[in-house]
Amino acid sequence: MSLDQAEPVAAPAAAPGPRAPGRGRAAATARQGRSRRSGRWWTPWLFLAPALILFLYFKFIPMANALTMSFQEVQPYLGNKWVGTENYSTVLQSHGFREAAWHTVVLAAGQTAGSMALGLVLALLMEGQGRRLRFVRSAAFLPVVVPIAVVAELWRIMYHPTGDGMLNSLLGLVGLGPSGFINDPDTSMASIMLTGIWRGAPYDMMIILAGLTSVDRGLYEAAKVDGASRWQRVWYVTVPGLRSVFSILFILAAIRGLRVFTEVFLLTNGGPDGSTEVVMTLIYKLGLEQSRLGVGAAGAVLLFVATLILTVVVQLLRRRESK
Amino acid sequence: MQRSRWVGAGVLASALVLTGCSSGPAGVAAKQNSKATLELWTRTTPGGPGEQGALKLAAAFTKATGYKVKVTAIFDDFETKLQQRAAQKKLPDIVMNDVTQLGAMHSQGLLREIDLDKIKDSEQIIGQGLDSGKSVDGKQYGLPYSAQASALLIRKDWRQKLKLDTPTTWDDFAAMAKAFTTKDPDGNGKKDTSGLAAPLSTKRGYASWYFSNFLWAAGGDFITEAGKGTYKPAMTSTASVKAVQWFRDLGCKDKAIQPGAVTMDTPPTNETFESGKTGMFVVGPYLLPRFDETLGKDKYEVVPMPKGPKDATVLAEGGSVYLMAGSDNEAGQDAFASFAVSVEGQKTGMEGDTAYTVQLPVNKAVDVSQVRPDPRWKTYSQAYQDSGRYAPSIPNWTPVRQATADTLNALMADCSLNTEAKLGDLDKQLADILKEQGIDAS
Repeated sequence: MSLDQAEPVAAPAAAPGPRAPGRGRAAATARQGRSRRSGRWWTPWLFLAPALILFLYFKFIPMANALTMSFQEVQPYLGNKWVGTENYSTVLQSHGFREAAWHTVVLAAGQTAGSMALGLVLALLMEGQGRRLRFVRSAAFLPVVVPIAVVAELWRIMYHPTGDGMLNSLLGLVGLGPSGFINDPDTSMASIMLTGIWRGAPYDMMIILAGLTSVDRGLYEAAKVDGASRWQRVWYVTVPGLRSVFSILFILAAIRGLRVFTEVFLLTNGGPDGSTEVVMTLIYKLGLEQSRLGVGAAGAVLLFVATLILTVVVQLLRRRESK
Repeated sequence: MQRSRWVGAGVLASALVLTGCSSGPAGVAAKQNSKATLELWTRTTPGGPGEQGALKLAAAFTKATGYKVKVTAIFDDFETKLQQRAAQKKLPDIVMNDVTQLGAMHSQGLLREIDLDKIKDSEQIIGQGLDSGKSVDGKQYGLPYSAQASALLIRKDWRQKLKLDTPTTWDDFAAMAKAFTTKDPDGNGKKDTSGLAAPLSTKRGYASWYFSNFLWAAGGDFITEAGKGTYKPAMTSTASVKAVQWFRDLGCKDKAIQPGAVTMDTPPTNETFESGKTGMFVVGPYLLPRFDETLGKDKYEVVPMPKGPKDATVLAEGGSVYLMAGSDNEAGQDAFASFAVSVEGQKTGMEGDTAYTVQLPVNKAVDVSQVRPDPRWKTYSQAYQDSGRYAPSIPNWTPVRQATADTLNALMADCSLNTEAKLGDLDKQLADILKEQGIDAS
C-alpha cells in the first residue's frame, strides 16, 4: 500500500459543484490523475534522501572541494591561495603530460577492446545451464574478485624478466624470449594491458552472459534454417542482439580504462622510462608525492571532464543510432 | 517538476555553501590542554618491529613525563594520508618521518617551529643531524631522533668462494659485481645470480635515493649551492655524467644489477638479497635484523662503501620528530621532542635486537658500541660521522628526487638512450623546479 492510498487526498473535483468549462474540467481531471499517480511531490525525495545525503557528503562535496582546490595553492594551515588557472597550466605543461594522456588513451582502448572481445568469446563458450558450466563460470570470474594488489603481485612474478620466469619459460618452449615484459620500455605497455584484459574480461563475460539470455532463440533457428554458418549466426544474430549490452560495457570499460591507476602504480609506477605513465599516476606524483594538492586536483578535474565528454558522446551516438 | 528543480537547486546550493565553509584558513592556535592525549604517527610497517619500538619509546615517555601518547604506524602512502588529515585540518600532534620530508611539510604550513631553548639536551645533538632539521630560512622545524648512513652488504660466502677481497675502490666494486653475476657464486650450476641489488623504481624516487651514494662519491651533485641560499642544476657536470655512465655500465654492459630492478621498489629488492639472487646491497642499518633472520648473520658482512673518484661520501638520512601545527597540547609536543633526543630516550629507542626506533644515536653522549656491541653498528656509525651527507634543505626536495629518479630509471631501462642528452633534459627540469621554489641562481 502506498502513502497515497493510506491517506486519500481531498478531491474537490469529485464533489458536486458548479459546472466548470470543458477545458478547465479536463485540466482538473488531468491534475487529479497526475496527483493520484505521483502522490505528494516530496515522496520520491524522501525515499531518495538517504542515498542523496550519503552522495552529498561523500561524493558531491568532495568533488566541489576538488574543483575549488584546483584553482588554489593548497596550504591548509596557512590558508589556501587563489592562483587562477596556474595549476591547470602546471599539469598541462608538466613533463610528459601529453605522453601520459596518450598512454592512457592507448591503454583504455586496448583494455576495453581486449576485455570485450575476450569476454564475448568466454561468454559464448560458457553459455548454457549445465552444472559444470556454472563451476567454470565461477572459476573464470575469480580475477574480478581477487584484490588488485594480489593480481599485480602475481603478474609481477609471472613477468619475471629472465628465462626462468613463468611466462618466459612458456615463451622459451616455442623458441621465443626471454622478454623483459614490464621491465622493458618496448613491452611494458602491452604487459600492463594484458593484465588489465585478464582482469576485466570475466566481468564483461558475466554481463554479456546476462545479455545473451535476451537474444531470441528463434532467430538462431531461423538463421540455421537459412543456412547461416556458426560464425555468421554469431555475427548477424548474437552481436546485433547484444548492441545495448556492448554500449553499456563500452562506457563502463572506457571510464575504467581512463581512470586506470592501481595496476600501473603497483606494477611499474609509470616506468620504465615513463613508458607506462598514465594520467592518474602523473596526477598522483604531482599532487600527492610532491604535496601539491592543487595541482593534483586540477589534473583530477581534467580527467573528470574527459570522462564526462566520452560518456556524453557515447550517449549521443547511441541516441542517434536508436532513432 | 518545478518543485523538483527547486529541491535540486537547494541541494546544490547547500553543497556549495558547505564547501565554501570548509575551505577557509585554519586556526593555528588551538585551545591548549596539557592533559590531551598526543597523537603520534610514525612511518613504519604496522604490526612490525618498528611499531613495537615506537610503542616502547612512547611508554617510556609517558612514564617519565606523564603525558599520554597514542601511536599510529603507517608505512604505505604515509604522505598521502598526512595530506588527507591536513585537508581535514586535524593533523596528528607529532610525526616521526624522514628528514627529507621537512621542506614539503614546512612549505605547506603543517609544522610548528621548534624552540631549541625548550628542548633539554639540544646542545648535545650531533651538528649535521641538527642542521638536517632546519628549513631553508635557517629555522628549526624538525628534530632528528635517529640517524643512518649507507654501507655495503656483501655475501661473505660468495666472496670467499670466488677468493675476492673486500672492495676498496670502484674498480674492485665493479669487478666483484661482475664476478657475482658470471661466476656462479652460489654453485648451483645456473646463471641466476646478480652482483648488485638496487631499487631503481621511480616510486618515492627510489632510483635517485640509491644512486646518490654513487653520485656524491664521484664528486657529482643533483643541484649545487650557488650562494645566498640559491641553487643551480648539476647533473650535466663532468663528475655527474661520469657517475651516471659508470653506474649505467654496471647495468647495461656488465648486467650486474638484478633483472627487473627498474620496476622494483625496496621490498622486492630486499628479497633478492635475502633469497640469494644478489650478492651486494648498498643500504642503511635498518635491514640488519631482517637479513640476520632470513639470510643468517654469518652469510653476509657489512663494510664501508669503497672510495669513489672523489671520496667515500654516502647518503646520510634519518628520522626527525616533527611538531605539527594546530596541536592542542604544545607542551606535550615539546616534552616528547625533548625526550626523543635525551640520553634516556635515545637509549630506550635503541634497545632490543629488532624492535628499535633509533638506528644511530643523535645525542653525542650516547655511544653506539656501548648500547650495541655488534661491530657492524660501529661501521655504520663511522660511515655516518666520516662520510655521511644529507640532502640539502630546500623548500621541497621531493620534486628534485622524483625528476632525477625518472631520468635515472629511463637510462637504466633503455640502454640505447644518450646519457648526456637525457641529463641535459634533466637539468632543464631541475632549473624549472628550482625556479618554482624561488631558489634558482639565475
